[in-house]
Parts: sequence; structure tokens; C-alpha cells
Amino acid sequence: MTETDIAKRNFLTKLVGGVLGVTAVIFAAPFVRYLIPKKNSGDANILTSADGKPVLEKEIKENSSFVGFSKSGPTIIIKRDGKLRALSAVCTHLGCLVKWIPNEGVFFCPCHAGKFDANGVNISGPPPEPLTVYNVTVVEDGTIALEKS
Amino acid sequence: MIRRIISAIDERIKLLEIYREQMSHYMVPSGLNFWYSMGAVLIAVFCIEVVTGIFLLMNYVPYTKEAFESVTYISNTVPAGWLIRRVHAVGANMFVLVLFLHMFSVAIMGSYKKPREIHWFVGCFILGITLVTCLSGYLLPWSQLSYWATTVATSFPGSIPVVGDWLVYFMRGSNIVSQETMGRFFAMHVSLIPFTLLTLISIHIFVMRRTGISVPPWTDGTKKMPFFPHFVIEDLKIIYFFLAVLFVFVFFYPQISFPPDALDPADPLSTPAHIKPEWYFLANYQMLKLVPNEFLGIVLQGIVAFLIFFLPILDRKEERMAWKRPIFGTIIFLGIIAFIILTIWGYCS
Repeated sequence: MTETDIAKRNFLTKLVGGVLGVTAVIFAAPFVRYLIPKKNSGDANILTSADGKPVLEKEIKENSSFVGFSKSGPTIIIKRDGKLRALSAVCTHLGCLVKWIPNEGVFFCPCHAGKFDANGVNISGPPPEPLTVYNVTVVEDGTIALEKS
Repeated sequence: MIRRIISAIDERIKLLEIYREQMSHYMVPSGLNFWYSMGAVLIAVFCIEVVTGIFLLMNYVPYTKEAFESVTYISNTVPAGWLIRRVHAVGANMFVLVLFLHMFSVAIMGSYKKPREIHWFVGCFILGITLVTCLSGYLLPWSQLSYWATTVATSFPGSIPVVGDWLVYFMRGSNIVSQETMGRFFAMHVSLIPFTLLTLISIHIFVMRRTGISVPPWTDGTKKMPFFPHFVIEDLKIIYFFLAVLFVFVFFYPQISFPPDALDPADPLSTPAHIKPEWYFLANYQMLKLVPNEFLGIVLQGIVAFLIFFLPILDRKEERMAWKRPIFGTIIFLGIIAFIILTIWGYCS
């Protein structure tokens, strides 16, 4: 085999490798795209119950709590002195949902006994960060709109 | 008649030649004890998992609104459905247990040393994929236990700086464990992972056949015996022993795989108290609870996994006798003690 033949063969080997590589990338692209979750749409961030119905302000009793869904995930809302306060219900430790303990005025995580005060600040246990707090707006029809504060 | 069919086939594709080469004329060292049969037990349990899994698929619905109901239907209405489901669930636990035992014996007997490093690397991948299989299968019944154990398990990567939150989002397919998560885990559990495991097991057996079974460190390896039927009979004895253990749990202690939270449908708005992962994740779970910084906990676990994976490169001495490797023996002993203590602690905490 002459040197020209070897050079030709090397070129062809690289060409085949290149073509197959580019084909693999082109074929992989839609599969990768398929796996990346879609972002939420820009609709209003309304608090809903488990069945997807909007929660109304009047349904939340004084000094009680309600856990529902917002676009950001499970959300807990409490009413104290007539004011609504909404926070992410997802414990910042390992993702369990916190419960409102009215007597103590704290949010309690049942998984590893983490505690947050009424403002969502982590006060004991393993949670490393405070709960995300939302600004609450009661819309005219009584639904509750949330926005990250 | 059957003989004529076999000889007709053999005349064309020389099947008996393969049988002789790979089975009856294939010689293995004599003096192999029960630890050498763990691989065969794993293959047997893997087959059981595949077969029971296929049967469960006939009635399972991978849709969050119907998954729990379909699983209840399998257990309560389909003839022998309860048995197939229990065998699948308990069998998964047994697979992990036997895999741990297999890796333990390989480590103690130094069977990962040259020329068997590739066996160890492939074995580590099998362990990793097995744990992913268990995690993905855990979610499918869509019970309170499956939902919240998956929520906790998929939260761990969240503490990795920069990409952590995105990783959690990518794994779940949404902010919370949901239908998107179910779809991903279901596809992985029933198609991607079994094929990957099958491929890895095939590679493991192929490289084992190329190098031969490791000679027990307490023999010189000169005495040999045929793989079939001698060693196969030894394998069968151990396989039947583990099958007996499997069915003791299936019939008398099924609650080991079905605690009370596994009997309630998932409620994404109510976390049950004291949710815990399966026993083989309890040590990791407890360690993450003990280390004050979650990311540091993940890094520490990564270091342990790294050390285990690269064991054949870190320990290149030829000596295989456990009692002539005191430092290695001490590390393994302390590691196992730590694993057991963390597991019990995690269970009781």
C-alpha cells in the first residue's frame, strides 16, 4: 500500500467517524429536548386545591391553614389577625411538606422535625434555609394570587 | 425423536460443541464455597424480577390517578396477583442484599485484583443501576410511601451548588413528584434499566469467562472440576436456599416490603410522619441527617463511592488472603460496621 493510499484510508476513516458523529448529535438533540421539562406558562399564579379548583379567601378560617398548589408547587397559606400569609409548603431540607401548628405559631416538618417561625424563617432542626414567602393578593372574585416576594 | 432433532440441529450449527466448551468441559477450581454461588443467585433473582415484572405490567396503569388502584386490583382481584407482586417487591430487596454479599466476598477474597479489575468496575455499575431500578420501581405503586420516599430521594441533588435545583427539576420533570416523574420512572424501570442491567450482566459474565473464575485464596488452584454438572449443582443448592428465604418473607413477613404507608394512596398535600427510604438507602439517609451541611454529606458519599469503585487501582498488591491484609481488613470491617450502625440508626430515628 502506497503512502497516498494510507493517507486516503486515514481521510476516509475520519470522514466516516465525522459523519456518524454529526448524525448521532442531530439524532440526539430532539431526545434531549424531549427530556427537558417545559417551563410554566405565564398565567396568573393562583392558589388551587388538590383537584385544581381555585381556593377562595373566605374558605380560610382565622388562625387556620390551608395547603394547596400554586405554580411553584405545594403552598401553605395561613390567616392571622385577618391577614393572609402564603409560603412554600416544601421544607428546604428534603422536600417534605410543613404543617402549621397554631398553638406554637410555627411551621413543622414531620420528616425530620424541622421548624420555621410564622415568617418562614428556619428556627430549629436540619432545614438549611427559610421557606419561600409569597406576596398575597386577593382578587375581586375572592381567588388568591401569589407572587414571589 | 428429540435426539434426532438435536442431532439435526447440531449437524448444522455445532451446538453440542458450544455445550462441551462452555459447560461440561469447562473446568473451574475445586474448593469453591457458597460465596462463589452469589453470582448465580443474582442471575436467578434477576430472572424472577423480569418475569414477575412482565406479569405485573399486564394490569398496571402508569397514570397517577389510576396507578394505586391498578396495584390494589393486582393484589386483591387478579388471581395470584398478590403473590406475583410480593415476589417482585421482596425479590428486589433480595437482589440488593445478595449483591452486597457478592461484593463483600469479592472484596474479602481479593478477587478484584489483576486480571479481574474489569469485573469489579462492571459490578459497581450493576450496583448503581440496581439502586436506580429500586428507586424508580418504588414510585410506581403511587402510595404515600412511594410518593414521599421519592420526594425525599429526589431532593438530595438539590444541595449541589449551581445545578442542584435544575437537576431535581430534570429528574422529576416538574417542580414536584408528579405524572411527569411517573412517566420518566416508569419508562426507566420497565425498559431502559432492565436492558442496561442485562447488558452489564452479560459483560460481567463474558469477562469472567475470559479470565476464568478466581481461584480461592486458600487453594493453589491445581485441582479442577467440571462446571457442569458439578459446580452447577453447588450453585443450585445455594439458589434454592435463597429461594426458600425469599418465600418465607413473601408468605410470612410481607410487611417488610409493605409498611402501613404503602397501603394508602399518595396525597401530594400531606406528608406522613417519619417517612423513611428502603433499608439499603437508610445508611446514606442517616449520614445526610448527621452531616450539618447537605452538600458536604453528598461529597462524603461521593468519596466513599469513588474509593469503592477504584478499589482495584488503589490496592494493587498481589496478596489476597484477608488476614494478611490487616489495613485493608480493618477498613472493610469498620466500613461495614459503620454501614450497619447508620442503617439501624436511620431505621430507629
